[in-house]
Amino acid sequence: MPSIDVSRVGKRFGRTEALRGVTFRADRGMALVLGPNGAGKSTLLKCIDGLLRTDGGRVRVNGADPYADQSLHAKMALMTENYALYDHLTVADNLKFFGRLYGIPDREILAKGTRMLRGLSALKYLGAKVQTLSRGTKQKVAFCRAVINDPEVLLLDEPTAFLDATAADYLREFIVDQSRRGPVVFVTQRIDEVTRYDARLLVLREGRLIRDTATSSIYTEMFRDSFVNIRLARPIPASALRRIRGMSPVGAGERTATVRVSIDGYRDIDRAIRELLKRGAYITSVDYAEPMLERVFSRG
Amino acid sequence: MYLKNVLAIASKDMKEVFSSIEIYGPMLGVPLFFAVFLPIMTFYITIYGAPQILAKLVAVSSVGPGMPMATGVVFMQFFSINVLGPIFLTMPILTASVIAADSFSGEKERKTSEALLATPVSVTDLLLGKIMASFIPTMLLTLSVFLVYGGITNALSFQAYNAFILPTAPWLLMVLTSPFLALVAIGFIVLISSKAKGIKEAQQISTLLALPILVIPFVSVLGIATLDTGFFLDTIAVLAALDALTLYVGVRSFRKESIL
Repeated sequence: MPSIDVSRVGKRFGRTEALRGVTFRADRGMALVLGPNGAGKSTLLKCIDGLLRTDGGRVRVNGADPYADQSLHAKMALMTENYALYDHLTVADNLKFFGRLYGIPDREILAKGTRMLRGLSALKYLGAKVQTLSRGTKQKVAFCRAVINDPEVLLLDEPTAFLDATAADYLREFIVDQSRRGPVVFVTQRIDEVTRYDARLLVLREGRLIRDTATSSIYTEMFRDSFVNIRLARPIPASALRRIRGMSPVGAGERTATVRVSIDGYRDIDRAIRELLKRGAYITSVDYAEPMLERVFSRG
Repeated sequence: MYLKNVLAIASKDMKEVFSSIEIYGPMLGVPLFFAVFLPIMTFYITIYGAPQILAKLVAVSSVGPGMPMATGVVFMQFFSINVLGPIFLTMPILTASVIAADSFSGEKERKTSEALLATPVSVTDLLLGKIMASFIPTMLLTLSVFLVYGGITNALSFQAYNAFILPTAPWLLMVLTSPFLALVAIGFIVLISSKAKGIKEAQQISTLLALPILVIPFVSVLGIATLDTGFFLDTIAVLAALDALTLYVGVRSFRKESIL
């Protein structure tokens, strides 16, 4: 079975310790790696892929060392935060080039590329030079390029960061499906992205793995001492809101269509919604205030 | 080694270079301009200034009797080989430096190396592909430049003196020197690619290799060395050894992190 085994891995860049004793093992399934800028997330991915030699500990993919054994990469895929595409070549030429390095015939490369790009609504760019594409389209092409070899081990660095909603959903479905075949390590610093999966969650801070938990625990953490905005279909009197614990109107008017609710956990959202429904309000949405990532798991 | 991978990398790199006229335009345009302009200039110098200059440069005793145009022919031959030749010999170095520096440091600068190194391609295949991608266009351009410059020189000499002055054995050996020079430049780029921060830095360092060649015309004019068959055979032998050394050390010391 495909696997990733990271054991007490350390990595230094000069005086900076990017990773300190990171240990985890992943078989089938998705592991999201969450952390602020500079936490060591991308370095961890590059160590797993064997792009970087570790300074301590060891990395094994399918039981072998990915730094020393380049042939392991036949069944691995890495999508970094840089799109890693050749600007002066067309999308098709980029896909063909990378596909050929995996020994895939051109016809098969184009068939796969076409299928993926169609799913991501980017097929019309197949003949376009990469330098003419938007950031989001480049990200779509980079994803196609990364998975052109039908990998068993998938390593992703913020793959949905600049995608439109439809493409991001397509990608998420693809990733979840992929995670049934082998390990997927998905690096992100967006809490919103983490909340979309029912998966394993690894939290990195200053190069250390400070929490190995499940994505569902993020709700407990992120809503602690926080607030949400609840939008209503029709405004209600502001005075009525002030009488409910933890609620206040948004805006200075006598009536308001947006209610600010202080919460200390996700259960408080249910309570607030029930209170508003009792008063005849119609709810259209609940907007989460994205907490600073530094706040989440700060006690780790 | 997988030849397929080597060829895929080489053809991708060459496609990149020739995908935009902004990239290959200056690389082709300047050498071809000089290949046309310098022989014409030489011809007019021969016509109007040869007798005075020739007296200082070439032993007239080598010109046989009954050849009234011989002083002009000898001057043109001397100037074409000893002065223009070394200028054109800088082409393989300059061209190879531009392509190889872009090929190695460009991957690093544009971050495309991350995806490249994430494939199953071995470092040896990667380097061979890139060396090939730098060598083939360099040699095509260099041979074109020598053909154009040789052709124009012959056309002008035939028109004026009813004689073709090229090719001579030293001139042919000079052309044969160019692949060895190109490989030195490429080997040097492989060596410094791990140290250089970007394309421009790598290019600037590697083009310094052209400086010793630009000394050759002066050495020749001052009579310190004669650019004859022996000179070029010795040069080729030294360059071949240098090629083997730089490429061997470059490939051996190359670490994939160096282009990340």
